[in-house]
Amino acid sequence: MLNNDPDSAHYPIDASRRDLVEEFRRAPKGPHSRELQMVLHRLRWESPGGRYVLVTVEPGKRWVLGRLPGVRGAPVELMRNKTYESLAAAEWDVFKLRWEALTGQAIED
Amino acid sequence: MRLGGIDTTSILGYAAPLAVEPGGQVAFHLSSDSLQKVDVTVVRVRCGDPDPAGPGLKLVPMASPVNGPRAVSHQPIRTGSCAVIADRPALRDLASFTVGCFLWPTLPGTAAQTILSRWRDDRQAGWRLGLDASGHLELAVGDGTGAVASARSARPVLAREWLFVCGSYDAATGQLAVHQISLDPQAGRDRSSHGLAKGGAGLAWPQDVPLVIAARCTGEALDAPRTAAHFDGKIDRPRLCRATLEPGAMRAQCERINPAPGDPDLLAAWDFSIDIPGLTVQDRSAHRLHGRLVQVPARGVTGANWDGTANDWRALPAHYGAIHFCADDMADCGWSADFTLDVPTDWPAGYYAVRLAATPADGDPVESYVGFFVRSPRARPAAKLAIVVPIATYLAYANGALRMDQVHAESMLEGLMVLSRDDLYLQAHREVGLSTYDTHADGSGWRVSGSRRPILNMRPRCNTFNYGNDTHLIDWLEEKGIDYDVVTDEDLHREGLAALRPYRCVMTLSHPEYYSREMWDALDSYQRAGGRHMYLGGNGFYWRIAFHRDLANVIEVRRDVTGVRTWEGEAGEAHLAFTGEAGGLWRSNGRAPQRLVGVGFDAQVFDRSAGYRRLPASHDPRAAWMFEGIGADEMIGNFGARNGGAAGLEIDRADPSLGSPPGMLLVASADRIGYGGMPAPEEFRTFHRGLDGEQNARVRADLVYFPTAQGGGVFSTGSIAWVTALSHNRYDNNVSRLMENVVRRFLDPAPLP
Ligand SMILES: [Fe+2]
Repeated sequence: MLNNDPDSAHYPIDASRRDLVEEFRRAPKGPHSRELQMVLHRLRWESPGGRYVLVTVEPGKRWVLGRLPGVRGAPVELMRNKTYESLAAAEWDVFKLRWEALTGQAIED
Repeated sequence: MRLGGIDTTSILGYAAPLAVEPGGQVAFHLSSDSLQKVDVTVVRVRCGDPDPAGPGLKLVPMASPVNGPRAVSHQPIRTGSCAVIADRPALRDLASFTVGCFLWPTLPGTAAQTILSRWRDDRQAGWRLGLDASGHLELAVGDGTGAVASARSARPVLAREWLFVCGSYDAATGQLAVHQISLDPQAGRDRSSHGLAKGGAGLAWPQDVPLVIAARCTGEALDAPRTAAHFDGKIDRPRLCRATLEPGAMRAQCERINPAPGDPDLLAAWDFSIDIPGLTVQDRSAHRLHGRLVQVPARGVTGANWDGTANDWRALPAHYGAIHFCADDMADCGWSADFTLDVPTDWPAGYYAVRLAATPADGDPVESYVGFFVRSPRARPAAKLAIVVPIATYLAYANGALRMDQVHAESMLEGLMVLSRDDLYLQAHREVGLSTYDTHADGSGWRVSGSRRPILNMRPRCNTFNYGNDTHLIDWLEEKGIDYDVVTDEDLHREGLAALRPYRCVMTLSHPEYYSREMWDALDSYQRAGGRHMYLGGNGFYWRIAFHRDLANVIEVRRDVTGVRTWEGEAGEAHLAFTGEAGGLWRSNGRAPQRLVGVGFDAQVFDRSAGYRRLPASHDPRAAWMFEGIGADEMIGNFGARNGGAAGLEIDRADPSLGSPPGMLLVASADRIGYGGMPAPEEFRTFHRGLDGEQNARVRADLVYFPTAQGGGVFSTGSIAWVTALSHNRYDNNVSRLMENVVRRFLDPAPLP
């Protein structure tokens, strides 16, 4: 099956394409250009740095970042120092974490 | 745990039965491992979804003697299926013996697993054949004084490869032997080997211990025994002989489909192909050592002798003499009831729940619910409209954990997964039993789902898919003052057309995806007899399922080689064990949903939702009445609580080639779905670029209407998100208007145009 192997996402990401970073920052929910769609697919499928998720604290108001353990029955790791007041802020933060984990280059805000 | 927000999981429970008439009783089975006391309140659910983008949580407290503070305790969940054969003198008196079967292990080498046993762990007494923690076949005997001897084969077994296995004990010498023979011994797969050991001679076996297949007794509660060391995988044609047989002779016993009952050596020859829908296992030997199954393991599965001659167990049961047991099977928690609610005869039918509240000193406030349903009295239908509660869908999706186990969810959503407290609980507590979208720990699909366990996503405040969305419709009916009765789809299954006959109009809700033949036939004959049907969802009438003939609120699903399927069954296992019928899609069973309701599933779109644009047929006098008060150029439902549109999540389209009726009017369509619109696999035969909703106009949701026989008619919206648009702009919107126009006309006895 093609659809459950995190290592199968292999679209190459060009770390110099800061225009794509900007495009994502402007509109995290899209719609996105073809190029950004493929970059996002790589980041989301492979999820470098761990399989990030959000956990709702207050519906529609507050979320905390978490990481799936990759093992059934083990608890979700909660990163309590990372909370968000909007989904867009969370998307941007996770984008930066993954971009850096994959390209080795940090994105400054 | 303190996280901020509301704790929805520190107490959990289930209601039995799941649905009841006024005047009936529902028992509540609760457990908490942290709370000693909770406050109980029965509530009627008008909207169970707290999302501020929708109507918001609306729960109506009901006066009831069960309300008030109540002590609660912890009741554990013990997972794992097995067969239990009560103790008999013939088993107790056994001296030398050989036990064997064909075996298809699915999780060897993870933990000790038992194949056949007459053993109690507490006294280390009896005998057991199994796999040890490293996947080696092992026969152990214990005399109850603590001395345990075991023979262990030299090589570990391979996962998902058939073997013949046997173990023997010679009472005269104390000799123990195990043998395993790989059935496909080439290309590196051969694990044939054996092991010998010396145990005590003349061992006596313990009293009153049942023989267990696929597990062993802990020693507690021997009449309904606690079991441990469950087996994952298939066991085929197990035999027990009272002599020390050579492996060849024992294998011949296991090969035989019809063993000679008069064979003096043969003590038991279980044939799992007898009464596959049932919950017992039958012994073909003269001893009749029949047993009962615990936690509903998968039956109607291929045995070691299956060769593709038949794909339907009814055609060749001899090839289906295996049972697939799982150590995480869970059909019934078996908790004792905490209290029973007598549902007053004057309570309106509807969605109900008990609220369990507490304010622990060291955590977030607890507000947990147990959902149940009150259906309208059969003898006294009150309204002309009925909603059909999709119990089958709720069960199929019960406790889905798939998105945490697979990697695709975020790509499908085009955004981060947002987990709830319920998800956190499910991730850590798989023992509650998962949904038919999930896989067992051994990788096999969950085929059976029942309600005698906490179902986290069938109650107020739960993840919105299905239950929460459906309550948006209830909220709208209440808001508009439209009287409605309530029936369940399981009523359609068990009572047929009688469940619908009292009603002029019925509504199926946001996601009536799982239908048995009986359910379909009831709805179809209702439509053909002048009934009016409003299908207000998407992906409806999709999978063919069965309810269990004896167990209430238990369904079976088989997924085969098409449809949006999150697992795929083994070859030869597409037929339902509960009935023998082919499972899979209704579309593959000669009944595409288009034939019943005009539209059928075509795509998922979880990133954004769309609006419908009116088509010329919406101005046809046969349909124009639906659009009264709606402008000719208005987009319908370009708003809504789920991603901003009424067409979204899972969507359906019309297709004459799949049975959309020639008399149908396609009045509106949402065909600008975007690149998140992913077509269902049965919608394309070869894959190429250009099949997504941005490029392909057939990835769409269609709004249709057609008259049926005797003045009846069908109105379908083809989208799960539809009902979540109803409350937009304080219910003043064109989705609500269109719905009101249709329901008022469908309730008018004058024949539909
Ligand atoms: Fe579905």
